[in-house]
Amino acid sequence: MEWDSAIPCCHSRQAARIAGKTKGEEKGQVDNPCNGQGGVGKSSTVNSIIGERVVTTSAFQSEAPRPTMVSRERSGFTLNIIDTPGFVEAGYINDQALEIIKRFLLNKTIDVLLYVDRLDAYRVDTLDLQVVKAITKSFGQEIWRRAIVVFTHAQLSPPDCLTYDEFLAKRSESLLKVVHNGARFKKQDIQNISIPVGLVENSGRCKKNENDEKILPNGTAWIPSIVETITKVALAETKGIVVDQKLIDGPDPNDKWKLFIPLILAFQVFFVAQPILRAIKNDVDKEVKPSWA
Amino acid sequence: MATAREWVGIQKFPLATQTALLEILGTLKEKEMDSLTVLVMGKGGVGKSSTVNSIIGERAVAVSTFQSDVPRPVMVSRERSGFTLNIIDTPGIVEGGYINDQALELIKRFLLNKTIDVLLYVDRLDSYRVDNLDKQIVKVITESFGKEIWRKGVVVLTHAQLTPPDCLSYEDFFARRSDAILKVIDSGAGAGVGAPFRKREVLGHAIPVALVENSTRCNKNDGEEKILPNGTSWIPSIVKTIAEVATNESKSILVDQKLIDGPNANERGKMFIPLILAFQYFFVVKRVQSWIKDDIAKAPKSSWE
Repeated sequence: MEWDSAIPCCHSRQAARIAGKTKGEEKGQVDNPCNGQGGVGKSSTVNSIIGERVVTTSAFQSEAPRPTMVSRERSGFTLNIIDTPGFVEAGYINDQALEIIKRFLLNKTIDVLLYVDRLDAYRVDTLDLQVVKAITKSFGQEIWRRAIVVFTHAQLSPPDCLTYDEFLAKRSESLLKVVHNGARFKKQDIQNISIPVGLVENSGRCKKNENDEKILPNGTAWIPSIVETITKVALAETKGIVVDQKLIDGPDPNDKWKLFIPLILAFQVFFVAQPILRAIKNDVDKEVKPSWA
Repeated sequence: MATAREWVGIQKFPLATQTALLEILGTLKEKEMDSLTVLVMGKGGVGKSSTVNSIIGERAVAVSTFQSDVPRPVMVSRERSGFTLNIIDTPGIVEGGYINDQALELIKRFLLNKTIDVLLYVDRLDSYRVDNLDKQIVKVITESFGKEIWRKGVVVLTHAQLTPPDCLSYEDFFARRSDAILKVIDSGAGAGVGAPFRKREVLGHAIPVALVENSTRCNKNDGEEKILPNGTSWIPSIVKTIAEVATNESKSILVDQKLIDGPNANERGKMFIPLILAFQYFFVVKRVQSWIKDDIAKAPKSSWE
């Protein structure tokens, strides 16, 4: 489908430039699934980036229970964004939602993961850790090399005695700590991994600059900014994550330590079974035979 | 209980707010209430401590944006013209997706032998979802203090100076959010202990809802009072609601050991024990004994007896 130019002209030119850069590197598609808790603004973000109301959003109810893929094409470049249901509802990981997402992604390649949360949430807790762990378990640790943390409600007035940048820094830091923890990165890897942070303000009341672009409190136009971050991550050296059956099923516990089975068997035969058999034979020989045997 | 300090914070409020507050205190004293105990409960990070500070008018409780700051309940007492206001700030009973049982125990022990006149159930106005976790919180509060506490309840929504999402007016958003929370209270409080034989009373929707904006960026009117988007000055408004609930017909909740321990499972149906015992003796034991006797009588005697 054509990528509609409901986006203001500046933004779409920028997007086309990015698309051109990407095309030069021979990547035809970019797939981005958005993951996170319910009610954080995933569907609204997808709608904003695409520039049309492609996914239904509702302030008060959970969104559609299944993932949807939105594809838009422009100058030979296809952008596929996969919007997913929040798989945390009511304090628990919704395993069913996670299964549906995994099945939907079978045989697709994920170029970028958008991990969406609200900027104006003040606490980071074990629930966030569980979400990160669930994502890591489902798609492997490598997916975090292709991840962007997206904060919605970016047009926020920070609480008293914190500037916007200070608040943003602390919020990012807490969430990234959780990601490092949940994805089980070893200490030396953490240095190499820097997960970029994207800011998003989906409300119609978002402030605009003279070119009618939606801007963040620091003046940046956020739609091109996030598309650029997405592109940068997509062009990274690490490979995109191919979601194959093996990945979905997860590591097979039956495969673990399979090599040792013959060794253990040999050990048991030679060092355990044989001595016992010999000892039994000795006992039988040494036995005092009664007169009537 | 520590002696109450002088409510100096009141003098820091703008004149209009001060006047309104003193008037409310006056009406309370007319109704022969010279003290009021308010319990503030809710999830972590919603603005309980900030609300307490705003009402008291000073930084009485420590507030920190990113950490849960109140490890134990704190009672703030202030006295003014013979009237004492006690506000009990509590740790969030939900941290990280689970009910924090330890915090709950601390709260219950802190409240032993205190009387709760008003319960402030605090949540954010700008959250969009209400889920099972909220229901669990309501259930836990109901189990700990009894269903009656909700007759003394006020729902407090913080971050009230919000721009609603597109295509919803502020009033619509507020109405829907309140409705969602009140529905949760209905189901959580109604499904209390021993409910099956009683009809479900609709407690939830009689509970008043108050709006609060604790940030210093809160809009102000000409009198320098902090106001909500609809123009009301919210500090006198919430204190008035608290006063109204405190003086309503329902009794205040005395937190005694019995309430904390909860219904004793051993007490249930205790009356039936002697009846069942009597039944067993007369209709079961006696009968079996007579059958055994009959069997012995009927048994043929062997030759060697």
